[in-house]
Amino acid sequence: MAVSPSASSGTAAPGRLAGRAAFVAGGLLLAAYPWAAPNAYLRYAGVLVVLYAALSTAWNLVGGFTGYISLGHAAFFGLGAYATGILVVRTGLPHALALVLAVAGVTAFAAAVGVAAVRVRGSSFVIVSIALVSMTNLVAQNARWLTGGSSGLRVPPLVEGLSRTANHVVFFYLFLALLGLVLATWWAVDRSRFGAGLKAIREDEDKAESLGVPTTAYKVVAYAASAAFVAAAGGLYGIWFGSLDPIFVFSIVIGANMVLMALLGGMRFLLGPLLGAFLVAPASEYFLLAYGESQLHIVLSGALLAVVVLFLPDGIIPALRATWRRRGPRAASIQERSAAELAAAREEVPA
Amino acid sequence: MSGTLLAQGLVLGILTGGLYALLASGLTLYFGVMKVVMVAHPAFLFLAAYATYALHTATGIDPLLTTVVTVPTFFALGVAVQRLLVARLAPESLATMSVLLTFALALLIEGGLGVVATGSYRSVTVDYASQALRLGSVALPADRLIAFGVAAVTLGGLFVVLRLTRFGRALRATISHATAARLVGIDTDRVTAIGFGIGLATAALGGAVLSLISPFFPAAHWAWIGRLMAVIVVGGLGSVQGAAVAALLLGVLEALLQVTWGATPAALLFYAFLFATLLVRPQGLFGGRLAQRF
Repeated sequence: MAVSPSASSGTAAPGRLAGRAAFVAGGLLLAAYPWAAPNAYLRYAGVLVVLYAALSTAWNLVGGFTGYISLGHAAFFGLGAYATGILVVRTGLPHALALVLAVAGVTAFAAAVGVAAVRVRGSSFVIVSIALVSMTNLVAQNARWLTGGSSGLRVPPLVEGLSRTANHVVFFYLFLALLGLVLATWWAVDRSRFGAGLKAIREDEDKAESLGVPTTAYKVVAYAASAAFVAAAGGLYGIWFGSLDPIFVFSIVIGANMVLMALLGGMRFLLGPLLGAFLVAPASEYFLLAYGESQLHIVLSGALLAVVVLFLPDGIIPALRATWRRRGPRAASIQERSAAELAAAREEVPA
Repeated sequence: MSGTLLAQGLVLGILTGGLYALLASGLTLYFGVMKVVMVAHPAFLFLAAYATYALHTATGIDPLLTTVVTVPTFFALGVAVQRLLVARLAPESLATMSVLLTFALALLIEGGLGVVATGSYRSVTVDYASQALRLGSVALPADRLIAFGVAAVTLGGLFVVLRLTRFGRALRATISHATAARLVGIDTDRVTAIGFGIGLATAALGGAVLSLISPFFPAAHWAWIGRLMAVIVVGGLGSVQGAAVAALLLGVLEALLQVTWGATPAALLFYAFLFATLLVRPQGLFGGRLAQRF
């Protein structure tokens, strides 16, 4: 076979095909999980893992593309959960409609907050995001007339009389669908002009702006889209779990976990946050089982976050890729001749 | 009646504002020497409060005297945090990664305190702190006076060190231009580490005072993150005077809101000021060129 310039794309195609096959196989395996899980607890844990994967991937719509690190996305999770719950309880709307309205409301709120929040960069943005979750938590705890405060809010189940196990299975697929939607969105943004603009903001915001990228509008849209998916996950969570408490949904630890998972897997990769969620969420569930409802899971989140920030700031995926490359055949240099061949060739030509 | 209430609120606000100023000075130092926003500062504050509580209950020594132990310990801890952790981060992503790292430290401290000391309230009570000085109809609680006194003395000491000593000059040089400071022979790495040490030492002092004035529990540091961040952002990141003015301003407004509307609006005030400042004047009241891009 003749070596032609198209050979390189020819060799890449089987790799891409294998990647797609692995993707489909992974999706099928995930879809089969509720039927393979031996007991109700593992089904419950499975729902939690997929929920976290959706949350972290949604977070990555802002974090991965723009590099703006939000530790306060739990605010949108809580708002989505409470807005959905309150609409169902107070107005008797069907769950699906309540969820859609809640997501629309939270998205509008996030866009408004985003206009203020994305004016500042780097550490100030992180501070603002922490303030946002503390503030919404405070309001939710004190607006007892609306949220029930710390005595909690009961959300009626999606289908009355459904068994716990069946409920877990239904919500496993709902969260899986949401995860698919978020992944598809990230994938589409990644190869769009909009995504290129967001990445330009991440690399050098001032230069991006001077090149005509509408930075503020792009950042606000990414922020609001990310918040919308997180709010949807929150609303689903409220219906699934059936009871809400401000301390548990407006939780800084949930927000920190989204960041930790995305960072651990790799913020620049489609499947990075998902990988992180599949590693961290089962680990913290195991911790809860082994050590009970103690504060140790906070220690675990903190320790993991510190280790990732210090030693793996780019995530597992690039680290694995680097190892793979070291093991595999060396990348060809410009001239595919060894040093010995070169020396021999040089000797043939008299100086 | 309401005049007295307002006067009382004003006095309490000024006294609490002093404590805010002391704690914000630590944050200003970290930000000054390394452009690091130390989210774990309030967590260290509570760690110090617990250390004070443990030393006080174990040995019976006065909570303020325990600072003889806690201040040097926290100084060493600060140097260690800077040398072993923060200095390892890549410079190009330092701004966000340092917040994440110190956030992780805050989680570690909160969780660790929860495991060791449980989540229930603790407080240190000493006879002299529960008394009050009366000034006409306005009461000056002794614990708040002590807090203000400790804050004032510490801030005064810091000011003297920064303005009048050779080390202070080296520190200010490092803050204003690290490269230039290195060129004239200042060991900026050492100065930065000591700056972190001093910052955490102020947290140790603040913790001793905090254990006197209010009951504390591990998760309470989140509320303080909001307060202190509001103080340094309103004052202008990196500005010591700005932070002091903002601390007094917000302390007074908080106390006034507390006596008129209640605790929730008082707590929300800090967030309102934080967001309003970032919207209207991101560099803060006194922020200069340093604060522009952070």
